[in-house]
Amino acid sequence: MNVAVNVDAREDIPVWLAYGTPVFTVLAALAVSAIALVVLDVNPVAAYATMFVDTLFTEFGLRETLTKAVPLILTGLAVYLPLKAGLFNIGAEGQLVAGALAGTWVGLNVSLPGLALVPLMFVAAAVAGGIWAGIPAYLRARWDVNEIITSLLLTFVALAIQSYLLRGPMQGGTGNFPQSERFSEAATIPELFGGVHAGLLVAVCMVVVTYVLMTKTRLGFEITFVGSNDEAAQQAGMSKFYVYLLVFVVGGAFAAMGGISEIAGAQGRYRAGFEPGYGFTAIPIALLGRNSAFKVMLAGLFFAVLFVGGSSMEVAFGVPAALVEIIQALVILFLITAEFFKSYRVGIDVKRGPAETPAQPQRGDD
Amino acid sequence: MSEHTTLRMEGILKEFPGVVANDHIDLSVERGEIHGLLGENGAGKSTLMKVLYGLYSQDDGDIYLDGERLDLESPQDAIDAGIGMVHQHFMLIPRLTVAENVVLGEREPATAFRSDAEGSWLPATVRNNSLVQSLAGQFSLGLDVPEQRIQDLADQYGFDIDVSAKIWELDVGQQQRVEILKALYRDVDLLILDEPTAVLTPTEAERLFDSLERLTDEGLSIIFITHKLTEVDAIVDRVTVLREGQNVGTAAVSSVSRADLAEMMVGREVLFDIDREAVDLGDPVLRARGVKATDNRDIEALSGIDLTVRQGEIVGIAGVSGNGQKELAEVMAGIRDVTAGELLVNGEDITGAKPKTFVDSGVSFVPEDRLQYGCAEDLSVMHNATMKDFRDGRFGDRPFLDYGELREYAETLVEEFDVRGVSDVTETNAGDLSGGNLQKLILAREIYRDPDLLIANQPTRGVDVGAIEFIRETLLEQRKAGTGIILLSEDLDEIFDLSDRILVVYEGEFVYETTPAEADRERIGLEMTGGDGDDETVASPPQSGVTQEGES
Repeated sequence: MNVAVNVDAREDIPVWLAYGTPVFTVLAALAVSAIALVVLDVNPVAAYATMFVDTLFTEFGLRETLTKAVPLILTGLAVYLPLKAGLFNIGAEGQLVAGALAGTWVGLNVSLPGLALVPLMFVAAAVAGGIWAGIPAYLRARWDVNEIITSLLLTFVALAIQSYLLRGPMQGGTGNFPQSERFSEAATIPELFGGVHAGLLVAVCMVVVTYVLMTKTRLGFEITFVGSNDEAAQQAGMSKFYVYLLVFVVGGAFAAMGGISEIAGAQGRYRAGFEPGYGFTAIPIALLGRNSAFKVMLAGLFFAVLFVGGSSMEVAFGVPAALVEIIQALVILFLITAEFFKSYRVGIDVKRGPAETPAQPQRGDD
Repeated sequence: MSEHTTLRMEGILKEFPGVVANDHIDLSVERGEIHGLLGENGAGKSTLMKVLYGLYSQDDGDIYLDGERLDLESPQDAIDAGIGMVHQHFMLIPRLTVAENVVLGEREPATAFRSDAEGSWLPATVRNNSLVQSLAGQFSLGLDVPEQRIQDLADQYGFDIDVSAKIWELDVGQQQRVEILKALYRDVDLLILDEPTAVLTPTEAERLFDSLERLTDEGLSIIFITHKLTEVDAIVDRVTVLREGQNVGTAAVSSVSRADLAEMMVGREVLFDIDREAVDLGDPVLRARGVKATDNRDIEALSGIDLTVRQGEIVGIAGVSGNGQKELAEVMAGIRDVTAGELLVNGEDITGAKPKTFVDSGVSFVPEDRLQYGCAEDLSVMHNATMKDFRDGRFGDRPFLDYGELREYAETLVEEFDVRGVSDVTETNAGDLSGGNLQKLILAREIYRDPDLLIANQPTRGVDVGAIEFIRETLLEQRKAGTGIILLSEDLDEIFDLSDRILVVYEGEFVYETTPAEADRERIGLEMTGGDGDDETVASPPQSGVTQEGES
């Protein structure tokens, strides 16, 4: 039996494939993860039922999902916006931490009524996140320093500062834990509905703001152009310097708002390691939703479901937390693979009959 | 049809949404001939050849090679059948050597997977398994190369290439020969060349023609896509003319005149002579004094240029490429910094200002490299048509932008400047347009904003006869409207036909000034190459490529 594999570039992508890919991708990732579940002696169907049905159809699951979605959507936007200008913001995590620290400081040290204090905390966070993101942007715009490296490394600087502050000046509460004092009532983000804090409103607003910015304004036109061909854009009188700085600073502010939302909305105090790497999960979110700010929101919600569903599965079946990360990683890997299948047609020819001599062309050899 | 026929394409039909690119085209090519495929940009030449090379599949019609019907699903099928193609944009990997690039397309699997390889760490049974073979063929790559064999092949056809050199070390002409070598290495009988001279200097083109003749002597057949009539005369045996997707006729080149061919291509008589009305000169729009600038490697490219351009004046700048024209154009457009001197536009000193200031002062720029500075190929025609004017008040109040208005504006430009190949200005990307149509779009954008100063660098390079005529007329109309124009061109005829004043640039300086009426071509040729016209001892004739360039 002869089996031959052909790979050809597709001329155009069939509609069913374009829309079906995300669905197939998720299903395929779950199917592969099922193997790991079976090995751990867990029924995959029951596990997935817990993961998705319990998350999407119980009040607790929905509340958790929407709460988790807030930082995911905001950090997703923080990566998405620079991506539109052709830049990679890998440091949304650092911007989130910088913003959360600044917001927390204001929340603990300024006494104002809640209506003024919470917005002030957001402003402080946004300024800090913006500055934190502005550093790699300035270096890139002015001296062409690779923003991927600088933004990533600044994340570790932010984490080190967090460590210092929570063990030193900002440490509070009982015991010697690396955490801050609890927020007062005034410094806590109010509830929006059913236990979901108002940070969700901020996230949705920022999605709309980003959407309008990209599709309805001159600035969005410039960002798109600089992202596509920065030399032509400059020839036309657009400023690459300004655009680069702007997308990063605004992106950093978004990530920072995600940070302070999580602290002042869900956590109630700043704990070291309060969050499971939203800023890094933001990268696949932005890549998934790279066509529109609303798709970023959808991708953010999807990853929130994965996070929440994963932890319910962890609790209900006693599977290791690492398994949830495996599922998430598989989803991302399959998504990348799907891009390949979208662009190439893979055919497998099976011919029965006597085995031929291997069909390698011999002409090229001596 | 004679017995020498090697390729027959019959009734080829290829449709794209809204466009019939090839409307039942017949084409036959004889063994050992160079067959010209002539047509305007967008006439369907490239589509037809992509069908032949397996990149597109035809909607109807058949292809026969040496009497055998071909069913081409991919370029690999075409290559296996003996058809090779050299694209306009080279498909070479700069960091690899010539020899490695040549074998790259062979897709030899990595040594470990080869069934005949010695000392592979894989057991023979695994290597010989057909599935492993086919996967290895798709997903692994062997770069161990029979260099000697490739060098012999290069020598056989008289290509002076060192096959162990890296691609980036080669000049464009040599890179093109590597592309041809790639095809020859795969034993093709029929070679398709897509506008091969578009990237070459005249001297390099001469060399290419010599090589091609050697190939046909060896029995290869060549399809030569072009829209330059001079090339048809120089090299082609028989020519087929396409217009709007249809075959207008095939003829032996010796039996038709250039004017006939031009008419066949465009569908009407082409005026090679343009009437230039007298226009009164107005105030100076540009005054440059002592301008110096460096090139990308920080070497001085402009060493003190003085230039004044008045309203309604076309100043033609002639010179051999690489004598500072690119830098001159970029300095005047505000995208290259000056190191000394000053620039006044409409009397205002804007030396060292940002590009935006230049744009706002009424400076328009048609860059030499359309894809680098002229457009963003991945963005829509609408984005590209409005890339300078989107700031204008009519497109909505700040900070908002009215995309409906942008779209309408873009549609007007496409309509008025006859940009073809646009089905929807928001859907069609600039990169999908053919060279001539893209150039028309860029020109439309730059002119429709009524500039005071227009810098046009090689505005007609790589575009077809019909578009050249259109572009030249547009420039003259703009001159009448009072725009000052700087025209940089390597085509001396163009400079002569359009300019009010001619300046010759040599090594970053203007060395000679004249007018078309009193100009002496030989003198200009000499000045362009650095010869001193007053010095009787320098009697060497001007370089052939310089004076004989041109369309008419």
